Amino acid sequence: MSNSMKGSMANRREDHLVRLAKRGDVEAFAELARCCQERIFYSVLALTKNHQDASDLTQEALMQAFKSLKTFKQRSSFNTWVYRIAVNLTLNFLKKGKKDGPRQVLDESFSWAEANEGISPSPEGHSLKRELSRKLQEAVNSLPLPYKASFVLVVFQGMSHNQAARVLGCSENTVSWRMHKARKMLQARLRPYLEGR
Amino acid sequence: MKCRTIEKWLSDRIDGELSERKIKALDAHLERCPSCRSYAATLEIIQDEARSVQKPEVGPFYWEKFTSKLKADLSSQKQGKRLERPFVKRWRWAGAGAALTLLIVVGLYFLLFFEKPAPAVYVFSYEESLDQIYQEIGRDPELENMFNLVVLASIGESLEESEWQDSAGFQGSPLLWENFSEEELKLIESEIKKEEKIEEESNES
Repeated sequence: MSNSMKGSMANRREDHLVRLAKRGDVEAFAELARCCQERIFYSVLALTKNHQDASDLTQEALMQAFKSLKTFKQRSSFNTWVYRIAVNLTLNFLKKGKKDGPRQVLDESFSWAEANEGISPSPEGHSLKRELSRKLQEAVNSLPLPYKASFVLVVFQGMSHNQAARVLGCSENTVSWRMHKARKMLQARLRPYLEGR
Repeated sequence: MKCRTIEKWLSDRIDGELSERKIKALDAHLERCPSCRSYAATLEIIQDEARSVQKPEVGPFYWEKFTSKLKADLSSQKQGKRLERPFVKRWRWAGAGAALTLLIVVGLYFLLFFEKPAPAVYVFSYEESLDQIYQEIGRDPELENMFNLVVLASIGESLEESEWQDSAGFQGSPLLWENFSEEELKLIESEIKKEEKIEEESNES
């Protein structure tokens, strides 16, 4: 079976599930959610750096999607639509968090440095890599929200500029510029750790 | 080509968003620009570092629990709120409204254009009734004779009754005299006396 045929069948399946979910079929909606909840969760986690927040925001995004299904005109895929809800919710959540003051809880169990342990060949190299990973994590976290969101979607989730633009509700050009600016900012902040590599 | 443009193209190339034509121009620039080559190398390191991040692991039953909670929340929300209804149910009220409107229109049509005249009530007049009775009786001479006798007897009874009523009514009513003035009463008394006198004279003669 060709890829286009598989894609067409998947689209028809999604259309069918969306129709059922619009009539209040919880099982159909849960099946739709199953296809995207994991990716959404990891994107939200990359933005919030907090497991509980990521889980709550993903649940909330799916609940909102269920509530607003009748407004879903199927101009984009269900995944993109829910992704957009989740990213908007997360950005609003983080903006509110900034107003309320810095967040106290940072889930260290999801630290990049921890995740990448064992990759470096030597103790010295290992130490340098850990340092760079930690600094990179800090630098990404300190990016302004729109730049951070673009970076997470494109680099961590592997989305194209077009897909990221749909999720973020902006143009491809905007995503392209944000990626360029984000990299410039990261490069400037990590310069001391990158020299001599 | 300006280095600022090249830096933007470098970012696009890392994301796989740069056209073939621009990639050729970019490579040509990098060959002769050490500053941009250095920047390109830095971006590669950042990209590799970021891409090498492994997904944080979640518990083995994490997604099962997540889905169960989601379903429970959805079900409770569904009970609290009416969702979009199927086509038939959604248009049920519209159908009922259309039927009601049709009923009203048809009713008005019949009421306005098919109004029947009120049934004429034929009332026999007293004279017409008598005429019919006379005609019926006139066909049978014996019946006519009997009818005439009955009518004559009835007239006789009526006369007697009227005479009695006249005398009884005139003299018997206790309130009759109350309605006359003193002068009228004197006039009536004098007239009665005159009549009595005339009657006495006629009796004597």
